[in-house]
Amino acid sequence: MSLHEVNPSVKAFAVVISILILSVFFDPITPLVTILWVVTVTFIFGRVSFKKWLLLFAPFLFIAIIYVWSTMLFPRLQAGDSVIWEWGFLTLTAEGFQRGVSLGLRVLSFATLSIMFTLTTKPTDFLLSLMQQCKLPPKLAYGIMAGYRFLPLIKEEFQTLQNAHRVRGVARARTIPEKVQQLKRYVIPLLAGAIRKAERTALAMESKGFTGEKNRIFYREITVSRIDWLFFILMISAVILSAFISWKLGYLQYYNREL
Amino acid sequence: MLAKWKLREVIVLSVLAVVFAVVYLLFVQLGNVLFGLFGLIGYDIIFGIWFIVSIIAAYIIRKPGAAFLSETVAATVEVMLGNAVGPQLILSGMIQGLGAEAVFAATKWKNYSTWVLMAAGMGSSVFSFAWGFYVSGFAALSPGYVTAMFFVRLVSGALLAGLLGKYLSEGLARTGALNSFPLGKEHKRNVTV
Repeated sequence: MSLHEVNPSVKAFAVVISILILSVFFDPITPLVTILWVVTVTFIFGRVSFKKWLLLFAPFLFIAIIYVWSTMLFPRLQAGDSVIWEWGFLTLTAEGFQRGVSLGLRVLSFATLSIMFTLTTKPTDFLLSLMQQCKLPPKLAYGIMAGYRFLPLIKEEFQTLQNAHRVRGVARARTIPEKVQQLKRYVIPLLAGAIRKAERTALAMESKGFTGEKNRIFYREITVSRIDWLFFILMISAVILSAFISWKLGYLQYYNREL
Repeated sequence: MLAKWKLREVIVLSVLAVVFAVVYLLFVQLGNVLFGLFGLIGYDIIFGIWFIVSIIAAYIIRKPGAAFLSETVAATVEVMLGNAVGPQLILSGMIQGLGAEAVFAATKWKNYSTWVLMAAGMGSSVFSFAWGFYVSGFAALSPGYVTAMFFVRLVSGALLAGLLGKYLSEGLARTGALNSFPLGKEHKRNVTV
C-alpha cells in the first residue's frame, strides 16, 4: 500500500475529519500521539524525502512556538491556577503552560496531517477525484484546471511587464508608498489580462462542444477501493486511540470545559 | 447553484480564484512575520486580505454563490499548490465565503454599494473568527485579548477585503476587461452619461 495511490478525496476527508476530532480535545497527549502516528505513516507508506518534509514542517514549528508564547503571555487566568513564575505583568501558571503546549502541539498535529496529504497527492488527481467522487460540477472543475494552467502564463506576463517598465525608465521602488504604487501598476494589468484570457478560454471550450453536463465520461477514471476505506478507518481510529491513550494517562480534557 | 451560470462566468471566477490563491499564499508569509512580531493578533491585522476574492467575484459577477464559490475555489487551489496547506483549508474557505455570501444574500444579491461590500468583508471576519475560535482553541487566551483579535479582524475584513476589493474591481472595470459583466456595464453607463 502506498499513500500516493490512496483516493485523493478519501485521503482529504480522512485528514479533515481527523482535524475535526482533534479539535474536540484539549490536552498535550492526544495531538502528540497523533503526530507520532502520522509521521510514521508518512515515511513508511508515503516514502517522502525527509528534506522536503522538513522544509514544509519547519515554519509550523515556528508558529507553534509563538502559539505557546502567546498563550503564556496572555493566559486565561482561572481561580486555583498555580503560579510558577511572576515578573511584572507576566504571570506563568502551570495550567497556562499546559494549555500553551496543547495549542502548539495541536498546530503541529494539523501540520503533519496536511503535509502527509500534500506530499502524496497530485493536484490534477485531486481535482479529478473531487469531480468524480464529490460531485464537483465539471464546469467548475475544468474552470479551475484552466485557471491553474494560467499560472505560468501570468508569471511570464509579469516578467514582460517588468521589462516594459524598465525600458520606459520606471525607477525601482524603494520606499513603501512607492512599492504600493508599483504593486498597483502590476496587479490591474495582470488581472485584466487573466480575465480576457479566461473569456477566450470559455469561448474555445464551448466551441469544442463542452457543455458542462454532469453525465459525462472521463478519460482518466479515479476509483475508490477497499484499501481506500481501510486507510480512512485506520486514520480515524488512530486519532480516537490517541485520545484514549491520553484518557488512560489522565490528561484528556474536552474543549468545552475551557469555554 | 451553477446551472444558471454561463461558462464564461465560471471560468472568470475560477481564474480570479487561482490568481488570488497565489496572493493568499504570499500573504501567509507576511502573516507569519507579523505573527512573529505581534503574536496571534498579527494575523488578524491582515486577515481581511484572505476574503478579498469573495468581494471581487461577487462585485464583478453579481450572481448568487459568487462569493462562496470563489473563496472555496481559491482555498482548493491553495491546497493544489501544495505549500503544506491541507484539505481542511477548503473547509475554512467555505466558511469565509459563506460569511460574505450571507451579507449579499441579505440584500437579495441586488445591492453592491460600498457599505454592503464592507459588511460582506466583516461577515467573512465573523464567520472565520467563530471557526478559528473552535479549531485554533482561542478559548485558551484571555477574553480581553480574544476580543481585541476579533475587532482587529473585523476592521481588517471591512478595509482589506471590502474597500480594497472594490477599489481593485473598479480599476479592472476601467481597463474595459469587464465590459461583458455587470460591473463593467455599470461602469460604461456611468462614463457615457
